[in-house]
Amino acid sequence: MRDILLQIAQVATVLALSPLLQGVIARWEERVQRSRGPSALQPYRDLWKLLHKEQVVPQTASWIYYVAPVVAFTCMLTVPILIPVLTDFPLPLSDMGDILGGGLVLALGSFAILLAGLDSGSAYGGIGSSRSVMVAILAEPTLILVFVGITLLAKAMLPFVVNHLLVRDPAAYWSPAHLFLILAFFVLLLTETDRLPIHSSTHIEVYMIEEARVLEYSGPLLALVKWASMMKQFILYIIFVNVLTLPWGLSHAGSAPGALAAAAALFLKMLAVGAVVVVVETAQSRLRFYRYQEPLAASFLLAVLAIVANQLS
Amino acid sequence: MLAAHLDPLAASLFSLLAIASLLLAFVMLGSRWLRDYLVAFTIESWLIALLSAAVAYYGGYRELYLVAVLTAAFRGVLLPYLLKRIIVRLNVDRELHLSLQPSSSLVIGALLVVFAFVVSTHLGARLGLAGTVAVLALTVMLSMKLIGFLMLAVRHEAISQILGLLVLENGIFLGSQILVPGMPLLLELVILFDLLVIVVCFGVLVRYLVAHVGSTSSRELRRLVG
Amino acid sequence: MVGALLLILTLAPLGAMLGCLALRAPRACERLNLAAAIVGLAAALPLPVAAFGRSYAFWDRYVLLDAIGAWTLLCTAVVYLLASIYAVGYMRLLDEDGRRLHRFYALFAGFAATMLCGPLMNNVGVYWIAIELTTLVSTFLVGFELGKESIEAAWKYIIVVSAGISLALLGTVLFYWAGSLVLGPTYDMTWSTLRAVAPKVDARLLDAAFLLVLIGYGTKAGLAPMHTWLPDAHSEGPAPVSAMLSGALLNTAMLGIARFLAVTDAAGGSALPRTVVVVFGVVSLLVAALFIVRQEGVKRLMAYSSVEHMGVLALGFGFGGPLGIAGALYHMFNHSLTKSLMFFGAGNAMRAYGSKDMSDIRALPRHYPVSGALWLAGAVAITGAPPFGLFLSELMILRAGFASPQAWAAIAMLVLLIVIFAGFLNHFRRMYFGEEEGRGAAPALRLGGWLTLPMWLALVPVAVLGVWWPQALWSFFHSVAAHP
Repeated sequence: MRDILLQIAQVATVLALSPLLQGVIARWEERVQRSRGPSALQPYRDLWKLLHKEQVVPQTASWIYYVAPVVAFTCMLTVPILIPVLTDFPLPLSDMGDILGGGLVLALGSFAILLAGLDSGSAYGGIGSSRSVMVAILAEPTLILVFVGITLLAKAMLPFVVNHLLVRDPAAYWSPAHLFLILAFFVLLLTETDRLPIHSSTHIEVYMIEEARVLEYSGPLLALVKWASMMKQFILYIIFVNVLTLPWGLSHAGSAPGALAAAAALFLKMLAVGAVVVVVETAQSRLRFYRYQEPLAASFLLAVLAIVANQLS
Repeated sequence: MLAAHLDPLAASLFSLLAIASLLLAFVMLGSRWLRDYLVAFTIESWLIALLSAAVAYYGGYRELYLVAVLTAAFRGVLLPYLLKRIIVRLNVDRELHLSLQPSSSLVIGALLVVFAFVVSTHLGARLGLAGTVAVLALTVMLSMKLIGFLMLAVRHEAISQILGLLVLENGIFLGSQILVPGMPLLLELVILFDLLVIVVCFGVLVRYLVAHVGSTSSRELRRLVG
Repeated sequence: MVGALLLILTLAPLGAMLGCLALRAPRACERLNLAAAIVGLAAALPLPVAAFGRSYAFWDRYVLLDAIGAWTLLCTAVVYLLASIYAVGYMRLLDEDGRRLHRFYALFAGFAATMLCGPLMNNVGVYWIAIELTTLVSTFLVGFELGKESIEAAWKYIIVVSAGISLALLGTVLFYWAGSLVLGPTYDMTWSTLRAVAPKVDARLLDAAFLLVLIGYGTKAGLAPMHTWLPDAHSEGPAPVSAMLSGALLNTAMLGIARFLAVTDAAGGSALPRTVVVVFGVVSLLVAALFIVRQEGVKRLMAYSSVEHMGVLALGFGFGGPLGIAGALYHMFNHSLTKSLMFFGAGNAMRAYGSKDMSDIRALPRHYPVSGALWLAGAVAITGAPPFGLFLSELMILRAGFASPQAWAAIAMLVLLIVIFAGFLNHFRRMYFGEEEGRGAAPALRLGGWLTLPMWLALVPVAVLGVWWPQALWSFFHSVAAHP
């Protein structure tokens, strides 16, 4: 019973805290560039506003238009069940899927939004979908390789086992394989959450990837889509933090105060990673489109080196 | 053999230094600017000198301390200084025409590392050394060789080709420090001096290239065919 | 006694180099170089006799004189003398005011000194350093004329060959490692130590190391497909330098391959080394044949002929056995002489007609009857026709090939040699007996004694050795094959 409550609490944490993370990062970026920036709670207000707005549906939309945001949202609710969010022991439904399964479910969510972009037949939707597929083609093999590297590191496919290994064994934490995996996954994190150097959250049609796909949405469906993308960012950060970089601070016993403390610790870790992301994003300029392959090739290379280093030591 | 009986801390130190050198070789492969190239090479040379000192400490080879100091002095300070002078005199900043995009060369480099890894694990298994740092040393040595050849093949600038040759030599030095630390001192010293002489000869030739051919890019060297 | 000879042999060119750097007068440098070459040959002649059946070690076993090394030294010394005589006349044509000649002769003597040191090195690593030094010195000789093509050739030479012999260094390190698995971390890596250790090392490691060494020193020796620097370097350097490169340097690199082959033979574990050497030999012959048939430059033609003959040498060493090694060593000597002759003739033709293309060289017998006849005889010799020495050596190698497991290679060699014969002599037919279409003025250059004497000196021994193979040489080669 307690475990089921913990599992619901995990999903609730992700649901509740993901807009806050987005708001904090946006505010810090503006602060670093010496302007005041929006309040950190602004995404909540945006979601609230969208939920109360009128839904405008294009004439050419089909059933996919309605289904896709729901599918994406559901996928994002599913993944927190599989990964260590608050506790470091597996909860009842955690063995529904391992690391690879989690990655595939995330990809399903993105795929649903992709289809939605193509569905209404507008030009911008097509542009957005094709560009996001191009980035995905470059990023997915690297993501799979990073997961393979993580698996080889811990000799198991469950993220919980990786977490235990890194907490228990400092030699494994500081091994070259692990350090390379952190770097490779960081580049992928920047790519998947649309940060520079592959920034795309602008409304200028030449650049947009993410925005183009959801251009046709409005009202509650748009709220679902935006919330799903914020949750995806949060989930990727959770994987980065709890599985790879900062595996400490998870609740060991599973009691209520422990869970609350774990949630607070989680958010603090998120803030740390967010700070690094803000610095990286502010220091870089956007790459030209045909150069998107370069950071991803570097990430691929780091993943291969991690695998080789793991086999040799 | 030293590499077969190392304690784990020494083994991880060696593997960290070796893999960091390999990573720097990749940085060289993926960079367009000659200045980045040179900085990566300098850091790599210092890492190799550190590795030499570590082997001397753990293996008890006193003369390797001298080799480490000389490596740091020659490969880490003198060679980059000479190359910097050549770059400044030539007034080139970067590779203007690339026959292979840096990202593609990074991917090909990764495949070469996998090939070297497969060859080394086979050899290591045959010799009964599987799982020791000797296999890592072989892998890194062969990969740096292959990456050096890749750099020689896809780069046009004279300086990049010289640096590719120096990466080849760095790879051999790295491997030899781990695999055969007992190699006679005379040999190691003469090879170091040899490297210096090579770079001086290259400097003179580059000057001739600029004076008589007019450019240092090998795209201009197309007159002799057949 | 032998030690004194070796000292004279190596110190004479070294002294000439220092002397040329000190004195600036071109005539004095010419004479100094010539004197060093004569002294060198005088010191090298007794060496094969002395090394017959036994080897000498000096200097704490760093210097070794064995039979095969003595033979290579003899070839090098002979080519050095012939090239020095030729250089006197040729460089006077090239550089009339003689301002840079002292540098040329200093580099020339230094080049000869490094080449003479190579076969003497007992330690495998020091041998590598000697080969590296020859590359560095000869680069500046190749680029001596400071034209666009010369610098391009020099650049290609140093890049390709340095990259190649760094592979050889890797192979040497792997050989050292293989030895250290048996003998412990520190030991003297001499050729004999490697041969003793080889049976106890895993065959795969030796194969890998040998492959690396073969490709590395094969780049230096001009085996295809690593020969890409050879046509450029040999055609752009001045003719005496080309003769030294083709006639002496390639032999020194091939010597390394032969010695490593002896090491893997001592191991006796796998047939891969010999097979790979034979394959490289056949590929070299194939590439040379293709490029000889469609060639336009006269010195490039000679350079590809060098690739062909290095392929034949590789086949000889690869087939092995007393016949193979005897054929290869005899071939080495005859090739050095004949190739020098060919480069001298090519240099004369280039200077006389003012062009590098064979289509500009016409009606040679009419303008230069004597040297033209010598050059034509050399052409017949180098393609392996009787009654010259190369015919006998190639026949010996073919016999060894048919008796070995790689008989297919012997058949390929036969076919390719015939193709090369036809292609090569076709070019000469056009130069000598082709129609003259009124191309420009007739050549007015008078070829003096300095330019024709070395051609006589090269041709006569090749003709003599073609009809008479001395019994003493037979026994010498047998001793090399029996005690590698």
